[in-house]
Amino acid sequence: MSSRISFPDLAFAVFLIAVGALALALSSDLSAGSAGSMGPGYVPRALAILIILIGAGMAARALLAARERLPGVALRPLALIGISVALFALLLPRAGLALTSFAVVLCAGFAATDARLRENALLAVGLAAFAVALFVLGLGLPIRIWPW
Amino acid sequence: MDLIANLATGFAVALTPANLGFCFLGALIGTLVGVLPGIAPITTIAILLPFTFTLEPASSLIMLAGIFYGAQYGGSTTAILVNVPGESSAIVTCLDGHQMAKQGRAGPALAIAAIASFVAGTIATIVIATASVPMAALALKFTAPEYFSLMVLGLTGAVVLAHGAPGKAVAMVLLGLLLGLVGIDVNTGAPRMTLDIPELGDGIGFVPIAIGMFGVAELAVTLGRPQDRTLLDVKLHQLWPTREEITACIPAMLRGTALGSVLGVLPGGGAALSSFAAYGLEKKVSRTPERFGRGAIEGVAAPEAANNAGAQTSFIPLLTLGIPGNAIMALMIGAMMIQGIQPGPQVMTAQPQLFWGVIASMWLGNVMLVILNLPLIGVWVSLLRVPYRLMFPAIVLFCCIGTYSINNSAFEVGLMLMFAALGVFFIKVGAEPAPFILGFILGPLMEENFRRAMMISRGDLTVFLTRPISGFLLFLSLLLLIILVLPAVRSKRAAVFQE
Repeated sequence: MSSRISFPDLAFAVFLIAVGALALALSSDLSAGSAGSMGPGYVPRALAILIILIGAGMAARALLAARERLPGVALRPLALIGISVALFALLLPRAGLALTSFAVVLCAGFAATDARLRENALLAVGLAAFAVALFVLGLGLPIRIWPW
Repeated sequence: MDLIANLATGFAVALTPANLGFCFLGALIGTLVGVLPGIAPITTIAILLPFTFTLEPASSLIMLAGIFYGAQYGGSTTAILVNVPGESSAIVTCLDGHQMAKQGRAGPALAIAAIASFVAGTIATIVIATASVPMAALALKFTAPEYFSLMVLGLTGAVVLAHGAPGKAVAMVLLGLLLGLVGIDVNTGAPRMTLDIPELGDGIGFVPIAIGMFGVAELAVTLGRPQDRTLLDVKLHQLWPTREEITACIPAMLRGTALGSVLGVLPGGGAALSSFAAYGLEKKVSRTPERFGRGAIEGVAAPEAANNAGAQTSFIPLLTLGIPGNAIMALMIGAMMIQGIQPGPQVMTAQPQLFWGVIASMWLGNVMLVILNLPLIGVWVSLLRVPYRLMFPAIVLFCCIGTYSINNSAFEVGLMLMFAALGVFFIKVGAEPAPFILGFILGPLMEENFRRAMMISRGDLTVFLTRPISGFLLFLSLLLLIILVLPAVRSKRAAVFQE
């Protein structure tokens, strides 16, 4: 028997149920109060329950819908962009804007399938200089340029 | 007359050298962003939002608004020349505009697009100026139940007009509402869902979410798709359309403007919907509908007028009532809140220079755009030759710097990354981020008004229906939902249009 699961819908439904359950768990220590005098937990819990219900309904439908696979996920661009943003968060407080920008652009640049090392490195240097000029020197943001 | 006096105030603000500069900058960036596919105006506005912190409130709104309607102008340029819409509202312009370009009439097409946009922009400015005063007066009658119902209407509109399944859009709205409640509860001081992280005490930052979901996520997904851009090498012979063509377009322009002005004000409305609707209307009304799709000049004039009118009138709910009609307006609210301005009907009376200054600058922006666009077309087209692989790392970097600079917080950059990942997930499962961000912005406001209304009515839920304005707004929401269910065909057709 061929499966009739719509995976994207199912994934979203599972996500909804998970988030709703998490929200319920996190607000369990808040008092809900009554409708006339609502406590801090009233609306979050109401929303969480609604979300869980919708998620459950969607899951049921997803299991009986037309079969649909999950769309392809191009891992390389996602991973490299993610790493470059993480690099920024980690490096900026320690290494300053110039070096961080260079690293971020270099890393992100390779997310493109037609990336070339020399071109990428040049772009990284150029953008690092531009960023420092625009944001620190031009706009006056209080960010260190160098690690020292 | 009051209107003249108000407009005079507005122009006094808009014509200062600084604000003229910001208007120009916004229009320029907007055109650039509109020309380049792969960068949406909402992304740009999200990225520039943190930098507007240092500006005057009027200047920041003027610039951000310029980006929005500037992108409408820019998007039509590439739609006509390259058959690639730089902006979603320009998709319809591709149909006849590119056909005209292929017939060697790119010049007239571009000129008509600019003229139609300018005419629409002028009329829309007048519409905004005249409509805002009664609307704000009406809004002064609003109390908690009316505000709540109005926000319900806004969110319903966002659901109805989202592409894709309405069920998912509703879920996204609820998710946004829930996430908006994270933080310390204003009434009781109790921390809600903050996981004991002190940085989350004020709630999740709006900027990391906006930049993550609309900037980085879109970028990452676009990179995964194959890039193809075939450029049409177009020589622009004569720039101007013939007189017959212009006169033939006048009714189309006016119809487009009217439709755009109305649809732009609706919750969930804006530029894209207006342009689709205007094209459809033009085709129905025309005596020779078979010309459409083959280079009918009205097919360019009407959507271009509509999208500019729609873009500008979508500011009306924002400026008069403080309710964002769509995701871009939600970002504008974010910009106002960064400046410490509480959006709402009191903005008109408490900050008239801001209010009228923004309205006046919209018209000035239109003037600048007409002047900018036509001579600089060659420049815009050559920019299209810059490969995407050189542009997107810059975008990533700017997203990071922008997010960091709000609070000098690497934590928020981390949050941004998390929401970027979430954004990619949503795109892959077919859930729209726009309803989410609307829900997020409106969440705390809705809860506050809901609680207050319930306190006033002592727990009686029917208060939302028994008060006339509130009941009417909820009835409109219901109507919108019914419209959604009936011609589910129409939303499918729009979705088909989109790709």
